[in-house]
Amino acid sequence: MAPWLATGLIYASALALAAGGITLLYMSTRTFNFAHASMATIGFYVIYTGSVLGGGTPYRYFPLAFLIGGLLGVICYYGLNRPLLKRRAVEITLMMSTLGYDLILLSVIQMYCDYLTFSRRLFPRRVSMSIYDFELLGVSAATIILPLVAIVFLTALHLFLVKTRFGVAMRATIENPVLAGASGINADRVYMLAWVIGGGMAALGGAAMSMAITGTPVLGMNSIPFMFAGAIFGGLHSLYGGILGGFVIGMTEYAGVFYLSQIFGPWVLGYRMGIPLLLMAATLLIFPRGLAGIPWAALVRNLFGKKGGIRV
Amino acid sequence: MLKINKLNSGYGKLQVLYDLSIEIPEKGITVVVGPNGAGKTTLLCSIMGIADVSSGEVEFQGNSIRALPSYLLARQGISYVPQMGNVFAELSVRDNLQMAGYLLPTAKAKKKAEQMTVMFPVLKKFIDRKAATLSGGERRMLAVAMGLMKDPKLMLLDELSTDLAPIIAEKVISEVARLRDELGITILLVEQMAKRALEIGDTAYLLVSGGVRFAGKARELLNEPELCNMYLGIKQPAAQNIPSIEGSR
Repeated sequence: MAPWLATGLIYASALALAAGGITLLYMSTRTFNFAHASMATIGFYVIYTGSVLGGGTPYRYFPLAFLIGGLLGVICYYGLNRPLLKRRAVEITLMMSTLGYDLILLSVIQMYCDYLTFSRRLFPRRVSMSIYDFELLGVSAATIILPLVAIVFLTALHLFLVKTRFGVAMRATIENPVLAGASGINADRVYMLAWVIGGGMAALGGAAMSMAITGTPVLGMNSIPFMFAGAIFGGLHSLYGGILGGFVIGMTEYAGVFYLSQIFGPWVLGYRMGIPLLLMAATLLIFPRGLAGIPWAALVRNLFGKKGGIRV
Repeated sequence: MLKINKLNSGYGKLQVLYDLSIEIPEKGITVVVGPNGAGKTTLLCSIMGIADVSSGEVEFQGNSIRALPSYLLARQGISYVPQMGNVFAELSVRDNLQMAGYLLPTAKAKKKAEQMTVMFPVLKKFIDRKAATLSGGERRMLAVAMGLMKDPKLMLLDELSTDLAPIIAEKVISEVARLRDELGITILLVEQMAKRALEIGDTAYLLVSGGVRFAGKARELLNEPELCNMYLGIKQPAAQNIPSIEGSR
């Protein structure tokens, strides 16, 4: 497998998880979660700490990363989000509050790094997690395991939302909180669970991302524009759109830089981050409601020659 | 059953209801009528804890329910069918019914949902379709079915006849009378089809500009030509034989 494709797959799976989390939180509590950045970084430090101090492969610590991310989500919900929602805060206020939470978490990460540096004699500020990886079927294990982790996790999430009573109640509350409340569904619990899942997805995404790119205390900070890009690309009102958006954004960065640099020369490398964002902007100009707003069914019908125009 | 005393409420800084007092007796239909903007929907929203209540008392079966979140009211047996947004558009009809029976044990909810599809056969036909694809009338029927799923003690019905063809509206309102007679459910009915609603109702309140303009027996309100004419658009008093809908055909 080409190296760009291998790394791109890991990176794209990580973004799919993180962007899905952003979308879920926005859909349920109207909150753009900036703290996704540091929650992702913490996910990385969980698997780093586990691999260095606990031993074994990094994958063993992914469930723990999810749980800690979920816990951070619950703290954010009860400490910030819920009181603000009760006071009917506008979206900007909700968003800025998570930025504050993100800065607190970033400080905690820095303190933790200092602890690891001075007390444990480690170098946690520039980590290549791939050295803890092993080889599987001729490629690095992350190339196979991480896309699988994303697929399994997202399938489980889908089944939960479609097949279980509480999952359906969650979708009901997201769509119409008033009617859901009148049906006896406690919206509070739904929102809390959304924060558990959303926070967990951030940490899982961050952990996965560190298997592709260098892990630093600002791993999440540097990648949050792309998490948001993925969520917006997906249309913000569909969890599946957000997941797909994250994956496409991640893949285009790697595929774009690889193919474009072959055509135009290596100077393209300097603009690698612009490539997925350009694609997003172009898509949104044609389909303002993002990937989820594209009439896929009509597109497919057209491709197979049946009648019926595309309506956006 | 439900007692509202000197209620002041609205949305944020906008006050809609002023010192409103209403009493809903058990096992009967209480009709609330009035012109647009009188505060009928706000009254229901205040009971359900959706509007902002600044002062006053709301008592259900002797207990204060003011400021309780709506999911707790649902657990006490109050079922609310809003005028707008009364179905989950993104969910299938089946899931809609399942969500409406959220508080019932699973087996009972299933059985109830089946009863609903017998009562409203159109729901059975579209059971796996998204509610968003239903027509206005079908949606309204789903909404009423969802209200009934809850086995309520008290049903708050907001503008049932909106979106419905007159002939179906007539049927739905008659259905409300049947709920009272056969199931013994107490009903608070807010309705634009004032005349028909008052005919089946027991108690009536006429709401004007956030206050009560008339309170008494539903039939008595129909005998107040001035009020009927001014606020409800009912031209003749009911006492002088108006041809009924059945009679005109």
